[in-house]
Amino acid sequence: MRISTRKLLDRSFSSVGVISIALMGLILLVILVPIFRKGIGALVFEATVEHRRLILDNFDHGDDLELAAEIKSAREARQPVYEMVQAFESRQQAKIDSLRPDLETLAERDDSMGRLVARRLKRLGPDEDFLEQVETIQQLVPRLREYGDGDDAPKEIAAISSGITRITSQTLAFAELKEVLYDLLGPAPGEPMPQLTRKQYGQTRWEKARETIDHLFFIERWDYSGPGMGTLVREPRVEQFRETEIEPLFAYVEGHAEAMLQPRWTLYWGFLTDKPLDSHIFGGIYPELIGTIYLTLGAILFAVPIGIIAAIYFTEYAKAGRLISFLRACVSTLAGVPSIVFGMFGLAFFLNVWQLPKGVLAGSLTLALLILPVIIRASEEAIRSVPHTYREAALSLGAGRWRTIVTVILPAALPGILTGIVISMGRAAGETAPIIFTAAASVAAPLSLNPLQAWDQPTAALSWNIYNLCTEHEAADEIRHVQFGMVAVLITVVLALNLFAIILRARIAKKLKG
Amino acid sequence: MNATPTPLDFRPFGESTPRPGNPVKSIHVDPKGAQDSVYVRATDFSIFYGRAEAVCKVNIDIYAGLVTAIIGPSGCGKSTFLRSINRMNDLIPSCKTSGQLLFDGVDVYDRRLDVTVLRKKAGMVFQKPNPFPKSIFDNIAYGPRLHGVKSQAQLAEIVEQSLLQAALWDEVKDRLSANALGLSGGQQQRLCIARALAVNPDILLMDEPTSALDPNATSRIEELISELRGKYTIIIVTHNMQQAARVSDYTAFLYEGALIEYGETRQIFTNPTRKHTEDYITGRFG
Amino acid sequence: MNSSDHANPLKISSDRLILSARANLTQKIMAWVGQAFLFFVASVAATAVLFIIFYIARDAIPFFRLRGFQEFFGSTRWYPSGSPPVFGALAIIFGSGLVTVGAIVVTAPLGLSAAMCLSDILPFSVRQAIKPIVEILAAIPSVAYGFFALVVLAPLLQEDGGPILAVTWYIVALPSLTIGIIMASDLLTFRITTEKKRSMARRLLALGLFAIALPLVVFTGQILFQLKITTGTNALNVSFILGIMALPTVVSVSEDALQAVGRELREGSYALGATRAETIIQTVMPAASSGILAALLLGVMRALGETMVVWMASGNAAQIPTPWFNYLEPIRTLTATIAGDMGEADHVTGSARYHVLFAMGFLLLLLCFVCNMLSEWVVSRQQKKLRGEV
Repeated sequence: MRISTRKLLDRSFSSVGVISIALMGLILLVILVPIFRKGIGALVFEATVEHRRLILDNFDHGDDLELAAEIKSAREARQPVYEMVQAFESRQQAKIDSLRPDLETLAERDDSMGRLVARRLKRLGPDEDFLEQVETIQQLVPRLREYGDGDDAPKEIAAISSGITRITSQTLAFAELKEVLYDLLGPAPGEPMPQLTRKQYGQTRWEKARETIDHLFFIERWDYSGPGMGTLVREPRVEQFRETEIEPLFAYVEGHAEAMLQPRWTLYWGFLTDKPLDSHIFGGIYPELIGTIYLTLGAILFAVPIGIIAAIYFTEYAKAGRLISFLRACVSTLAGVPSIVFGMFGLAFFLNVWQLPKGVLAGSLTLALLILPVIIRASEEAIRSVPHTYREAALSLGAGRWRTIVTVILPAALPGILTGIVISMGRAAGETAPIIFTAAASVAAPLSLNPLQAWDQPTAALSWNIYNLCTEHEAADEIRHVQFGMVAVLITVVLALNLFAIILRARIAKKLKG
Repeated sequence: MNATPTPLDFRPFGESTPRPGNPVKSIHVDPKGAQDSVYVRATDFSIFYGRAEAVCKVNIDIYAGLVTAIIGPSGCGKSTFLRSINRMNDLIPSCKTSGQLLFDGVDVYDRRLDVTVLRKKAGMVFQKPNPFPKSIFDNIAYGPRLHGVKSQAQLAEIVEQSLLQAALWDEVKDRLSANALGLSGGQQQRLCIARALAVNPDILLMDEPTSALDPNATSRIEELISELRGKYTIIIVTHNMQQAARVSDYTAFLYEGALIEYGETRQIFTNPTRKHTEDYITGRFG
Repeated sequence: MNSSDHANPLKISSDRLILSARANLTQKIMAWVGQAFLFFVASVAATAVLFIIFYIARDAIPFFRLRGFQEFFGSTRWYPSGSPPVFGALAIIFGSGLVTVGAIVVTAPLGLSAAMCLSDILPFSVRQAIKPIVEILAAIPSVAYGFFALVVLAPLLQEDGGPILAVTWYIVALPSLTIGIIMASDLLTFRITTEKKRSMARRLLALGLFAIALPLVVFTGQILFQLKITTGTNALNVSFILGIMALPTVVSVSEDALQAVGRELREGSYALGATRAETIIQTVMPAASSGILAALLLGVMRALGETMVVWMASGNAAQIPTPWFNYLEPIRTLTATIAGDMGEADHVTGSARYHVLFAMGFLLLLLCFVCNMLSEWVVSRQQKKLRGEV
């Protein structure tokens, strides 16, 4: 080849290398940046007055007096909305009432239609729920139409059914609007408190509230009339309410949204220390956090002593031979076992053979097996890297083998061993597969801080609940911020542990230099 | 001297025994429990690494209270010999010995021997200063603690005495809790000597103690050796002939595992009986 | 002697060099017992893997005893809760294989070129700065990768999958095409002796090749661009993420292998006038080939054994895609099946439904065991080779 071609190849070769490294960094950023950006949103966000109300009601954080004032002013700002809704409702009610005489005449007829209408009439009236009344009369429409085709049907039938249709079409649109309003503001004053927590409060996060306001202003539907996939069409909702009492509502909400919800930047530490409410729609991730801590510490508790002793044996005592190389091969095989197989082993052995309950202990033991090879290898390496001269010095002073190990070698190897331990803590904290069958529960009360009470309890854990919330949760799309927050917390924990390990390692290097 | 040295036999070269005369410097040597002034005696003592013979059939008497230098080119087995005296060679699995090595009248390779006591009696100073990564105090106190001294006052006493003996006390007395790795090389080596002295040994084995030090630190160590002379039996391995000449009473010349010549230092350096010794001393090889 | 200098507490009467027979025995027994204890703990730690193999096998064997091998390995029909149940795992095994191959296709070029760059191209200080990237990639928990695959990557692929694939294709294809054509035209015209003729021929050839290849590239790009991806949770998504997860292992192990080759070989090659690329490709790579192979095997192990990513983002459809290499269809893997089905099966211990999952686990274990042994063997062979024993 020509020199110039060779040089070109050389240069492109180098640049492929550099590009692949840059790509690696880019991938890392692409993964971490959105997770952290959105994850922080679980802790720092613009919280509405609803959020503060929720926190005060459920966790007793916050200032009641201040909040009461806030609620009052929010309520004042919301009042006109409710008034408009009220006015619209009563006018619709009047319309329904105006149908009443016609329906009553119809009910007097002595046929199936008359009896049906008579039954329905009982459910109408100002005492009944407005929307239910609308539904009741709406159900009449097809029957009326059918009936109107008959020969002996009164002439007014067509008029009645078209009257009903006029009322109902507008009312259905109104029901939808009311639902969106409910999402935004929660139950109206005087309305009965529903059972579900998610129904007791309006939007707690301002960005979600803005989305809801957008839903309030625009109806979104898919238009499939064109070729190919459907297109999204946004129609202003106000069109449905032209020249009604509702029409000014949109302008009002646009102008007074902030007054109605009072968004304020909030740092919600409770995300880490509060229990979740209503399956993670509100509240924090305390049970997951405490579960992860329990499992990680438990795994360390079992794996570290065994791992260090094994490492001491392999480095200081074991003589080369078939048995030892077999044991070493076993350790390296253990390192290559897939994590789900550890979980199966935990199920088959700790749960089925040892009859341990599904819980922290079984999970910790399973995780301990998983990190054992990591700890053995790190400790072996750390012990091997202790200068031989230390060993000689201790021996020459009359220390026995074991004394030398305990008083000189282990202290000198400690930072290296700690590095291994810290890294394997990160590993244990992040693993999911081994705990699925042995410890994890989707919904569980937070573990007691007393290990004697906690050891046999199944627990939530960050890793498991990330999976659970984004695949099995009924409203997985609604709680993205919680999921992102959990992932960010998990990654932060793991990376902080790794960072700690890196710092430790740097300090060893310094210390060995003297 | 109150006892005549026993005859030495240099079998490898089948020569008549060069009988060392009385020590040059007239000091009173207390043989300390030994029946005569010989503290270490090797008889037909050989050391093997696997098949290779590192030291072959050495016969030597090392006298109590004196400084004995072992010289020779590198790889001649002088360190190996030194390390067999306190059985540091045990660390090397393939290392085997034959013949007899008596330490204070006891066979070092006796199966019933308590190695920890042997090593306590034979302090060792290594080529490179090797203090533990602990404080100065803990370095010195390591040995005494090992052998059961618990009282803090006694430890403090031992630390001070050892550092005084090693001529390091004045330099470090204000920072006993500082990390020993922060000392200079020469100080570290004196600390190691102090650490060896702290367990109250009978004999000090020095394996090229100055090879990693600068000339200044070297002369401090040499002075120290002169000060310790008479209090301890000292065996110093060195490749530095001037050093051997300066500090030792007796000198042994080892070459390719065999003891070529052994005698009073002055005699070895001024009037060697063997051609090899002369060649080495005058720098023709080595 | 110094005993007069200060009262030395170490001067104790027990300073006897020779132990009494009894003390000697006690000391020996103590040492033996201590060592036996250490050996016991170490062997328990090491033989844990044998326990794992035993207990997985113990629950896997009943399945084969009940249903034989034919159905498990021969059928693609997976209806464990049907009546009668069918346990054809072929599609699932195929799914595992498919994503593993995909992961290696992603990780091998990226990881190897990164490793070569780290070991031979970048200066030491830059290398130290880059190491943390690899470490962080390795430290991120698998469930976080799975979350990313499901929540970020899958919608992206579903909406803009075609354009993304097309852009990737152009970025990869165009430069390699250019370089390939330049190289080919140079090589093919090398025998022409006259300088003038040769350069003419070279240019013509390059133009011709370009004219042929470029439409092909653009055509493929267009096809990719118009590709509609029906679901983002598919084999492609999973392969990509698994490839990234295997990257740290592949990079660090193969970098070690490249470094182990040593300066002398490289310097020998440079001394003969080879460029850096030629040195690495023709000299260093062959010498490090077994280490690189071991790195790839470890990468395979990582991809094969990964659970969370595939469970979350593979779509979990137990089917062989049509055509079989269609990475845009959802698939299902062994690990995901175990994780997903155990919850329904573990209360029916003893049924084929429960044991079939252990059969899958055993298969996984076996595959990883083989990979591990292979990589160990390959590495030890390289070490021997470097020591000159083979």
